[in-house]
Amino acid sequence: MEWLETFWATYSTLVLSIGTNVLLALSIYLTLACGLLTVANAAFMGIGAYTAALLSLHSGLPFYLSLMLGALLPAAVALLLGPPTLRLSGVYLAMATLAFGEIVRIFLLNAENLTGGALGLNGIPQHSQWFDVLVLVVAAIYLLLRCAGSRIGRTMVAICQDEVATELMGLNVRAYKLFAFVLGAGLAGLAGGLNAHFTFFISPNEYGFDRGVEILAMGVLGGTGSPWGAVIGGVLITLLPELLRGLGNYRPLINGVILIVIILYSPKGIWDLTRYLRRGGAAS
Amino acid sequence: MKLAKILLVALSVVGAFSNPAAAQIKIGVAEALTGNAAQYGVPIRKGFELALGEINGSGGINGKKIELVIEDEQGKKEEAINVFKKLIFQDKVLMLFGPTLSNSAQASDPVAQGAKVVVFGTSNTADGITSIGNYVFRNSVTEADILPVTLKVAAQKTGLKKVAVLYGNDDIFTKSGYDNFKKALDTLKIPVTTTETFAKGDVDFKPQLTKIKSSNPDAIVMSALVAEGAPAMVQARQLGITLPFIGGNGMNSPKVFDLAKDNSDNLWVGSPWSSENPVEENKRFIAAFQKAHGALPDQFAAQAYDAMYIVAQALKKVKLTGKLEADRTALRNALPAVQINGATGAFKFRQVQDKDGKPAGYDAVQTAIVMVTKGNQYVIQK
Repeated sequence: MEWLETFWATYSTLVLSIGTNVLLALSIYLTLACGLLTVANAAFMGIGAYTAALLSLHSGLPFYLSLMLGALLPAAVALLLGPPTLRLSGVYLAMATLAFGEIVRIFLLNAENLTGGALGLNGIPQHSQWFDVLVLVVAAIYLLLRCAGSRIGRTMVAICQDEVATELMGLNVRAYKLFAFVLGAGLAGLAGGLNAHFTFFISPNEYGFDRGVEILAMGVLGGTGSPWGAVIGGVLITLLPELLRGLGNYRPLINGVILIVIILYSPKGIWDLTRYLRRGGAAS
Repeated sequence: MKLAKILLVALSVVGAFSNPAAAQIKIGVAEALTGNAAQYGVPIRKGFELALGEINGSGGINGKKIELVIEDEQGKKEEAINVFKKLIFQDKVLMLFGPTLSNSAQASDPVAQGAKVVVFGTSNTADGITSIGNYVFRNSVTEADILPVTLKVAAQKTGLKKVAVLYGNDDIFTKSGYDNFKKALDTLKIPVTTTETFAKGDVDFKPQLTKIKSSNPDAIVMSALVAEGAPAMVQARQLGITLPFIGGNGMNSPKVFDLAKDNSDNLWVGSPWSSENPVEENKRFIAAFQKAHGALPDQFAAQAYDAMYIVAQALKKVKLTGKLEADRTALRNALPAVQINGATGAFKFRQVQDKDGKPAGYDAVQTAIVMVTKGNQYVIQK
């Protein structure tokens, strides 16, 4: 089993990153599935990461409790932020959530006594183990699959297809949207907490616009038709740069080309493509 | 399990392209070669390669050649950790250079410390990096050592009594620079008239500068990188502020003269390296760099170049047994004693303490060179 030891020593962080990125992709899947273009997930991840890390560093709370609080606080923030912002749609919603993300980042930068400002937090204990990440990812996938197959999931699809028609059918569109937004924020916070506990260090600029776009890319690339799409997107976006490492300086270039080709040939994401293949070519 | 096996095979097949065998002394280099931090990572790589060519060209280390395994860490913390782990556990390097940014170092250096592998930073200047542990070394002189000297010299020469402060508060480098400026100003008992901030990517500094002007200081202390610092200087001159600027390491770049053109005069900076420093090693380094790359080197290339020579000297004193763990520790034990005269002048290590006061890693001891800009050139001040 020596190869396994070498593999794990070399790639443990990569494997754990796949797990947290899948959680992030699932968090954006929730809102994308309702047709909501929100880009606040990076900020929710940041809130979760700072909450969990600060609790680990300064309070004697057990790790799992800090982690849960790291998921609950962003969810609570989303519960407050949701009602006013979710009245918006399309690019206006994207702009509002983008602004919220900037506010969080700037808050983290300026609340120096609490967060260490631009210098970040370092020396975060290494609490995240593979089984923590595995259990949480599996639980999140199971939960969202159950959601997708239920009344909630079908309502979300309906909202995505035609919001007005859904509302006229007597469904509380606003409540479903808020549910997706809050649950997504919780998942992003959970991913942030886990990530902070295996990377030693966090700083505000990690949770800025770049991360928001990366999360969005996972969701869109994988496809919003099923939680499995988000899983595929999260795994691919994390793994692809590592698989291309041998290409040296051309790595970011090839990485980008592959993503463009995927989106060109499967605009609804990879999950859509697999469905097409499974039906033996009967196009949807 | 099967998936993991497939993954391992795929990764090692791809990895094989970048790993030519027959290494005698394998050293890992993890720097940001793409992304925003590539502006530092690329010159660092050039500095390493220049020194490597010279060392291997003149017979190597006790007959053995050094081989560099270079990886891109993109200036991201997760990438830095991944690259460190790959170099340590898969490529089995003797030691590591890098990473480029202090942020990444906070995340990846604990990995090297945990595996008991020397990690040597050439560009990490933030406080606390070497407190991570006793396998962490750097030859980048911290702002904590340089800024007090810069301030003292500038105060003597210009006779300043009170200063205004301007700094970027969203960047680890400029924020850390500000903290050190503040400490130095307190020690020298120089009163601050006003403290103003800006953010990375800002283009208009006139509100802050107007406020600074009305507070009537004798000089402006600025912790900024060139991209923001140079426009701030131009705008100050446009507002009729002729006061001297006192900058940190971030303002020590020939790019100031491009970006601020004819408004670049009267900027005071301190640095361990200056293109004008007339010592023999520096002249030789600049000439060799120009020959290899057709351009003038910067401070990052100079520090990387020196770092390679520091390690080479330690390696010469180590008896390599071929047992990786023993060799890694032997190198760690040989490094602290190294003293060289390099492109950045006389160099030696100084051990620092961690949070609990226990001995930890090693910082650089070097004399800062204070310079002032005049007619699009740095002039050394003694």
